[in-house]
Amino acid sequence: MQQKNSIRFRIVDFLLILMMIIPVTVLIVVKLLTNVPAEGISVTGAKIYFEISMPFQNLLITESQINSWMVMISITGLCLYLTHGIGVKVKNRRQHLAEWIVEKTDNLVKGNMGEYFMAFSPFIGAILGLSAFSSLICLFGLYSPTSDINVVGGWAILTFILITYYKSKCGPWVYIKSFGDPVTLLAPLNIISEVATPISMAFRHYGNVLSGSVISVLLAAGLQGLSSMVLGWLPGVLGDIPFLQIGIPAVLSIYFDVFSGCLQAFIFAMLTMLYVSGAFPMEEYFKRKKKKQTKAMSN
Amino acid sequence: MQTLDVISVNLWQILISLINLVLLFLIIKKFLYKPVRKVLQQRQNEIDTIYKEANDAKETAISDKNYWDEKLKNAENEADTIISDATSKANIRKNAILSEAKQTAEGIIRQAENDAELERKKAEAEIKTEIVDLSTALAEKILEREIKMDDHKELIDSFVENLGDK
Repeated sequence: MQQKNSIRFRIVDFLLILMMIIPVTVLIVVKLLTNVPAEGISVTGAKIYFEISMPFQNLLITESQINSWMVMISITGLCLYLTHGIGVKVKNRRQHLAEWIVEKTDNLVKGNMGEYFMAFSPFIGAILGLSAFSSLICLFGLYSPTSDINVVGGWAILTFILITYYKSKCGPWVYIKSFGDPVTLLAPLNIISEVATPISMAFRHYGNVLSGSVISVLLAAGLQGLSSMVLGWLPGVLGDIPFLQIGIPAVLSIYFDVFSGCLQAFIFAMLTMLYVSGAFPMEEYFKRKKKKQTKAMSN
Repeated sequence: MQTLDVISVNLWQILISLINLVLLFLIIKKFLYKPVRKVLQQRQNEIDTIYKEANDAKETAISDKNYWDEKLKNAENEADTIISDATSKANIRKNAILSEAKQTAEGIIRQAENDAELERKKAEAEIKTEIVDLSTALAEKILEREIKMDDHKELIDSFVENLGDK
């Protein structure tokens, strides 16, 4: 293990902090350089940086992809920073934080999914981290990837894959039969609800974040208009400054960006846990496993 | 620069985001959960060892205490037996000494008695002789005649004998 406070240790620490900060800084600089002042009120999607031709549909590399990658690099830097110099006897703030994160997600997973799904803990941590930081990135004035349906849709589809995997763990026949529950007549509705799960998850998350940013844009424009109407009589430059825009959007931003972003991340993680653990017919699975074991033993 | 519509679905973007999440899951698992879990496990192991050592030490202490308690009790018993042994031995010895002394004293007394008897007899004999001599001399003087020494002696002897018996 490296010596604490040695120069090498400090340099690595510094590099890891840079790894956290630089991606966001780069994004801010790029945003400032490429920003075109919008005419009036405009609510648009992500900027398209370049296009790669692919089968079915062209792959568009947009702001949301770039921002996601940068967020991922930052999170990786954060993980490395938190676990740098970690040890049994070492007790500092970052180790406390790292242990706190691990223990909290472990407890969350254990409480909502049970002991069997303990391997899900890092996955839930990843969802929480990626979703929360993607939403919080708009505090820097950046485009948050979670307000893009494609990003959240990808996560929801992954959740759907997990749900289906755990549902069909007892074999395809049990999976198909689960749709005829409680009566075969309800099978179409069950199939619809099955498909609706990822769609509703994706739209819930995406809609909440997007609506927040739309309201922010509308509010900013509205306040600007109100300001010029009420305070327009002030002489010279003073009349042009939208004084009402000071303060009020910041308060709303705390709700729409910070609170809503974190809450949606938590909701998405919670729903993932509940759907996946609910989809797994645990009793049936263990019954079959036991049966198989006894069969193998008797053979 | 072009922008996307607010709602626009792109399959490849969905796939990229899906892969992103899986990648981040692997990254977090490797760089955050693995080292932290390792440290927690190590700490748990250390705690377990310390507890085990403490329990072992406690058990050893208890067994030692029992051992020494037992030993102490034994020592007390031993001391008791030693003392009682010594006492009984001393008693036996005392009795032996006493009886020996008694015997010796009795012997001495008997000796003395014998000696006294002997002395007495000797003295008696001497006195007798003396008396005989004296009486002979007295009788010679008084009678002033020749007496047969043997006749007289016999006479006086019987007289003295009678004296002594009385």
